[in-house]
Amino acid sequence: MAEKKKPTAISFLVLIVVLAVTIYVAINTGSISISMKQLLDGLFVAYDPDVATVYDLRFPRIIIALLGGAALSVSGVLFQACMKNPIADPGVIGVSSGASFIAVLIAGIFPNLYFLTPLLAFAGGILACGLVYLLAFRNGLNPLRVILVGVAVNAVFTGLTQAFNSMTGGNLSGVASIANANISQKTWDDVYIITGYVVLGLVLALMAFYKCDLLSLSDQTARGLGVNVTMTRILVSLIAVILASISTAEMGVVSFIGLIVPHIARILVGSQHKVLIPFSMLGGAFLMLLADTLGRTIAAPYEISASILLSIVGGPMLIILIRRSDKTYGV
Amino acid sequence: MAYKEDIEGTHQNTEKPLAVMQARNLTFSYDGVTNVIEHLDLDVWEGKITVLLGANGCGKSTLFKLMTKNLFPDDGETLLYGNDADDMGLKEFARNVAIVHQNNTAPPDLTVETLVGYGRTPYLNAFQTAGGKEDEEAIRWAMDVTNVTKYRKRQVSQLSGGQRQRAWIAMALAMKTSILYLDEPTSFLDVRYQIEILKLVRSLNRDYGITIIMVLHDINQAMEYADILVGMKGGRIIAEGNPREIVTPELLETLYGIRLPMIETGGRKFVLTV
Repeated sequence: MAEKKKPTAISFLVLIVVLAVTIYVAINTGSISISMKQLLDGLFVAYDPDVATVYDLRFPRIIIALLGGAALSVSGVLFQACMKNPIADPGVIGVSSGASFIAVLIAGIFPNLYFLTPLLAFAGGILACGLVYLLAFRNGLNPLRVILVGVAVNAVFTGLTQAFNSMTGGNLSGVASIANANISQKTWDDVYIITGYVVLGLVLALMAFYKCDLLSLSDQTARGLGVNVTMTRILVSLIAVILASISTAEMGVVSFIGLIVPHIARILVGSQHKVLIPFSMLGGAFLMLLADTLGRTIAAPYEISASILLSIVGGPMLIILIRRSDKTYGV
Repeated sequence: MAYKEDIEGTHQNTEKPLAVMQARNLTFSYDGVTNVIEHLDLDVWEGKITVLLGANGCGKSTLFKLMTKNLFPDDGETLLYGNDADDMGLKEFARNVAIVHQNNTAPPDLTVETLVGYGRTPYLNAFQTAGGKEDEEAIRWAMDVTNVTKYRKRQVSQLSGGQRQRAWIAMALAMKTSILYLDEPTSFLDVRYQIEILKLVRSLNRDYGITIIMVLHDINQAMEYADILVGMKGGRIIAEGNPREIVTPELLETLYGIRLPMIETGGRKFVLTV
C-alpha cells in the first residue's frame, strides 16, 4: 500500500491547491478586483465597499457552484455504484430534470414556498429515479438500457420544464434561472437554503462508502456476505437523489459533471469509495467553479452558463466511457 | 465459527453424521411455467465433501442459489441445522454458510487483501469496516490457508486464474463459516490449477472440518474428491451415494446422454471422457 498511498495523497494535495487558486481567481474575476490582503481586511477588520460588493454578489455564486459541483459529482459516484454502471449521471438519467421540473413549478406557481423547493425537488428526483429503475429493470440493470431509459425520462422532464418556462413568458426570473441553469443571480438566501441539505447529503454519502464498495461486487456475492442488496441499493440511491435534487433546485440541470469527475477520480485515486467519494467531492467543487468562472470570462460581458460548458466537454466524455464500459467492470 | 473445536467431535465419534443443511421438496421456476427444480430433497452431511454432477442446465447452480438464500423457492424449504433458512436474517445466515459463485466480478483495482476483508462483512455493524482483532486474524488465516498472502497487495484482476479463484475462496473463508458452497470452482482453469484447487478444498475439509458442497464437471475428479456424489438431472436428484459404488456407465448415460467407457486400474475406477 505504501507505494499506492503516495500518489493518492499527492492527488489530494494538488486538487486542494488548485481548488484554492480557483476560488481566489473566481473572487477576483469581474469588474472589481481585490487583493488577498484587501479581501481579508474587508471581511474581518474594517468595512470596505469593494469587498462588500464582492461579498454580496460573488460569494453566494461561488459557494453555490462549490456545493452544487460537489453534490452532483458525489451523486454520480453513488449512482454508478448502485447501477454498477460507470456512465450513470444524475443529469443524463433524468433525475436532475425531474427535480428541476418540480422546482420551476414552485418558482412559477407558489413562489412564496421557495424555502420548500429543495424538499419538493427531492420528490421530483425520486419520481424520475424510480421511473428509471422500474423501466430499465429486466433481470438486473443493463448499463446501456439505464442510459436509454434515462434519456427518455430526461427528455420528458426537460420538455415539461421548458414548456412551463415558455408558458410563463420565459421571463419569470426564478423559473428562467432554473430552466436555463443560470446561477448568476444567486444571493446569500439561496446559500442558506441549500447548505444544510447538501452537507447532510455529503455526510451520508461519506458514511455509506463501504456499502458502495459492496455494491460493486456482483449482487449474488454481496448477498452471500449477508448484505440486503435491494435495501442497500435503495438507500444509496436515495442519498444520490438528495444530492442531485437539492443542487438542481438551486442551479438547474447540470449534466455530465457526475460523469467526468468520478471517472478522472478513479484514474487518480482508484475505485475504493473511502477515497473516491471525498476526492470526487473536491473535484466536483473545483470543476463546477472552474466552468462557472470560465463562463463568466470567455465572452465577457456576456456569460456562458457552466452547464453549457460542461455539456461541451461531457458529451465526448460520455462517448469515451460508453466505448470503454465493457472493460470498466468485470474482472 | 466453532469448527476447530468440533473437528475431534465430528471425526471421532461418527456414529451417525448430521445433516447440517437439508433441501425439502424444493420447487422453483424462473418463468412460472417450467420448473427448473422439482420436488427436490437433498441432505448435506456434516464434515463431508458432497459433489454435484450433472449436465449443463440441469439446475445445479439454481439449487445452490436456492439453498444459499439468493433465490426463493416457489415451494418447499431449506433447513439449516433443522431451522427454516427463510426465517433467518441474511447476516446470520452468512455467518454459517459461505458460497463462491462462478464468474466473479470486482472493480479492476481491488486488492486481494481488501477482497478477503469483505468476508468479514457478516460480523460488522451498519457503518463499520473490518479492522478488529478477530477480523484481522480471520483475514490472515484465510489468506494463509489459500496461499495468497504473498499476493495480498496485488490487484485481483492481475492474478492468474488459479490465484484469483483462491482469492475468492479466501474471501469465503474469512466469513468463518462451517459450510462452504463452491459452484464450479475449477471451471476455466488448466489441469494444474484444477488439482491445486481440489487439494485446497480437500484440506479445508480434512484439516479444518469445513463441510463442502460443490459442483464439478470432471467426473474422475468428482469420484476422487467426493465423499458423497449426487447426480442431478432435469431439476431432480437421480443418484446419491458413495462415488465408487454409484458411478456406472449407465448412470453417466442417464446424466449426460452419452455412453462413456469405464476402466479399473489399481483398484480405482476411471471414466474415459474421450
